[in-house]
Amino acid sequence: MNCRMTEEKLTLYLYDELPPEERAGVAAHLEECAQCAQASRELGRLRAALDRRAVPEPSPELLVHCRQALEEALDREEQSWRALIRSWFVVPPGVSLLRATSALAILVVGLSVGWTVRPRLASSGTPAPPAAANPWMGADLSGLRIRGISQVTPDPQTGQVRITLEAQRQLTLEGSFDDPRIREVLLYALRDYDNAGIRRDTLEALRGRGDNPTVRRALLYALRHDPNPGVRLEAIEAVQGMNWGPELRQALLGALQQDTNPGVRVAAIGVLVEHADEQVLLVLEELAGKDRNPYVRLQCAQAARERAVAPPNEVEF
Amino acid sequence: MDGACLELSQPIPGASRQVDALEERALIRRAQRGDRAAFEQLVRLYEGSVLRLALQVVRSEEEARDLYQEAFLKIYRSLGRFRFESRFSTWVYRVVMNVCLDYLRRASTRREVQAPEAEPGQVEFFHAVPDKRAAQNPEKAFQGKQIAERLRAALARLSPRERLVFELKHYQGLKLRTIGEYCGTSEQTAKNCLFRATQKLRGELREFV
Repeated sequence: MNCRMTEEKLTLYLYDELPPEERAGVAAHLEECAQCAQASRELGRLRAALDRRAVPEPSPELLVHCRQALEEALDREEQSWRALIRSWFVVPPGVSLLRATSALAILVVGLSVGWTVRPRLASSGTPAPPAAANPWMGADLSGLRIRGISQVTPDPQTGQVRITLEAQRQLTLEGSFDDPRIREVLLYALRDYDNAGIRRDTLEALRGRGDNPTVRRALLYALRHDPNPGVRLEAIEAVQGMNWGPELRQALLGALQQDTNPGVRVAAIGVLVEHADEQVLLVLEELAGKDRNPYVRLQCAQAARERAVAPPNEVEF
Repeated sequence: MDGACLELSQPIPGASRQVDALEERALIRRAQRGDRAAFEQLVRLYEGSVLRLALQVVRSEEEARDLYQEAFLKIYRSLGRFRFESRFSTWVYRVVMNVCLDYLRRASTRREVQAPEAEPGQVEFFHAVPDKRAAQNPEKAFQGKQIAERLRAALARLSPRERLVFELKHYQGLKLRTIGEYCGTSEQTAKNCLFRATQKLRGELREFV
């Protein structure tokens, strides 16, 4: 074995990944070649240096948190549209994929044919019953099983909101925000629905509605706990219309100190600086030195400087 | 469990007992029919090693929790497609590896668009194993800190695949053949990744070796 071959195999030799005959060849070469022996010692020292990096052990507490979060995610998953699709398309074990695909193809062809002949049947047969003018009328939401929400569209001009959701059948709900059923669906969408885009639209619809205590709690919940940073950012936008109070202040301070997303932390600074008190200033000054993101540090320093020179009567609390 | 897989050096208290291959097969079939309790039992079998690997890769408990959840949700969603053509453990770890690789790719992109500054939160997790002698020797303590910081930076510069292969080989002690299976690639590709990773680390950490 020559030096070039040894160099190529040295890593595998040290990690015990060579077959016995190659291992013996490398060992023999290292006995007689000082240069390769030196390279081998260097690699050994590299491994020793890398061994100094701690291998983190998951704590039981972390495991418990993981299990809880997964259970909640599975609950949401079971109520989602994915579960419905899976229940249609999962091929049970033992059934061949070809047979399942054929069955699906027959179903699709059948539906297509049915759809094509539908107008002729409708025109030649008994007239179809008129569609309900407003499918919302008479619907009892308490007994409704919501499978998915496909659209939330607020209308700033009329102050109304339109929600399209899939329950036992698809409904389009339209009504004022004061309608408790509309509010119920929006709050469900915000807390329990797994589509981040819908949660953002819902927050937009709830913007300026923070005077309602239930909505207020839901907005703060989204700000603190929503898993999607885009939604948390939208929540910060939404809470700006709320009356300033200790709960809002605490939620924003929490976001500034603990949110993993630098964009959310910067947005929180933007709101907090408007209401900066002694404690907020202290937090800003502290994070100006230690936030892990340089841009957030810069923003904290700037905000702290701005508030430090502001007249005292502008400072609340 | 039915094959070579990542094992915790010490089991996490509260982690589940192991089951034999037949029991596992029965659990998989029940979970495929929508039995949530069976799926949760399967989670218990693998969660320790999945969480340990996630922590090894991301070095942050919060992000490890996200990876854990993402991996098991993917497994839950695609369990119906598992056809017993490979070992279940291999199939599970392949999903987990893909989740880890996606994370490392995203992290790598973030590093490219953000300032290349070390994040103090990460440094905390990249500390070196404490050296008892360092307490009496400030020079050694300083050197230990320096090494830990350089290790963090050097590992962060590996490509996602090199990093994953290196973590699995050096810190988890898996055979390259198993790593290849878990990463959906050949043993030779895993060997090449390990070789490149070692060469890069050797170059980055030359002054410490």
